[in-house]
Amino acid sequence: MSSSPEAAPSADFLAEEARRYHHFITLALWLAVITGAEIVLIFLPVPPAVVLTVLSLMSAGKFFAVILWFMHLIYDKRLLLWLFVTALALTFATFAALLALFSVDRIDTRWLS
Amino acid sequence: MSEAAVAHDAPTSTGIDHKKLIMWLFLGSDCMFFGTLISTHLLYRKLYPSGFTDAAGHQQFIQKLFNIELTSFSTFILLMSSFLMALAVSAMHKGQIKSFRRNVLGVIIFGLIFLGCQVFEFTHFYHEGLTIQNSVLGSTFYVLTGTHGTHVAIGVLWLTLMYFYSFTGKLGGHMGALDVEVAGLYWHFVDIVWIIIFTVVYLVEYLGPAGIWGTGLPVVTQ
Repeated sequence: MSSSPEAAPSADFLAEEARRYHHFITLALWLAVITGAEIVLIFLPVPPAVVLTVLSLMSAGKFFAVILWFMHLIYDKRLLLWLFVTALALTFATFAALLALFSVDRIDTRWLS
Repeated sequence: MSEAAVAHDAPTSTGIDHKKLIMWLFLGSDCMFFGTLISTHLLYRKLYPSGFTDAAGHQQFIQKLFNIELTSFSTFILLMSSFLMALAVSAMHKGQIKSFRRNVLGVIIFGLIFLGCQVFEFTHFYHEGLTIQNSVLGSTFYVLTGTHGTHVAIGVLWLTLMYFYSFTGKLGGHMGALDVEVAGLYWHFVDIVWIIIFTVVYLVEYLGPAGIWGTGLPVVTQ
């Protein structure tokens, strides 16, 4: 944490911040609504595969909404976006590799007993 | 990117403040860390769908143990704390220190409520027989959610220190706003990790009459 003598924020910057403020409120409301919908969805008499797909899409939507708006990736330099997308790609690749390596259908489960 | 944002670009080779760049790199690595923990939990849930055995020797299913109302409440609390954090960062950029303090205090309180809910949940699970040692489910569940809880606790501590530091008058200007923004990035990351955990660890357990993992018949064969 540090301090430095700085000039006051410009009018353009303040106008931009005011615009973002409204985005944040709208997004917070949507996040609350989607979370509520997720909870309702799991108790509906719908096939699990359908529910799982919709839940995944809703979670992904919330995930990327927070990254883009709350974490400012939509406003910041593209380099940061690519940095995080690369990390996400590596994460999913790791997940896919683990699934492939430890698939129940393939694994020799004798060592588990 | 807007003209206003360009006006605040850092004088570095990338145009991004080093603190912010380092934080994004850290978050990228943390993303992979949580990715492996979540993958491990899901894989072992598939291998051991039968849940755990309680102290009395009875087979228990995790969905009977979960309290979806409590978890939903703590999810909502964490999402709203993220909203307050975004407002706190915005306030600091505008030089509104009092607004920053109000919002960051809200984030700290919400973070503590979330931690309280997690402590309550862990205590309840422990008394119902799910421990970190007695089942694979217990091990992966406590390690995953416990690691996330530790991240929340670190975030609460960080923001608390920042809150009190703001009273010294040294937290101001562009560098002060950057410090708050970096702390905000960390807090939002904790929130997005929970968004995934809430779905893949909690909600999927309620799908179908016996949960997404099947009837609970053992998969492991000799």
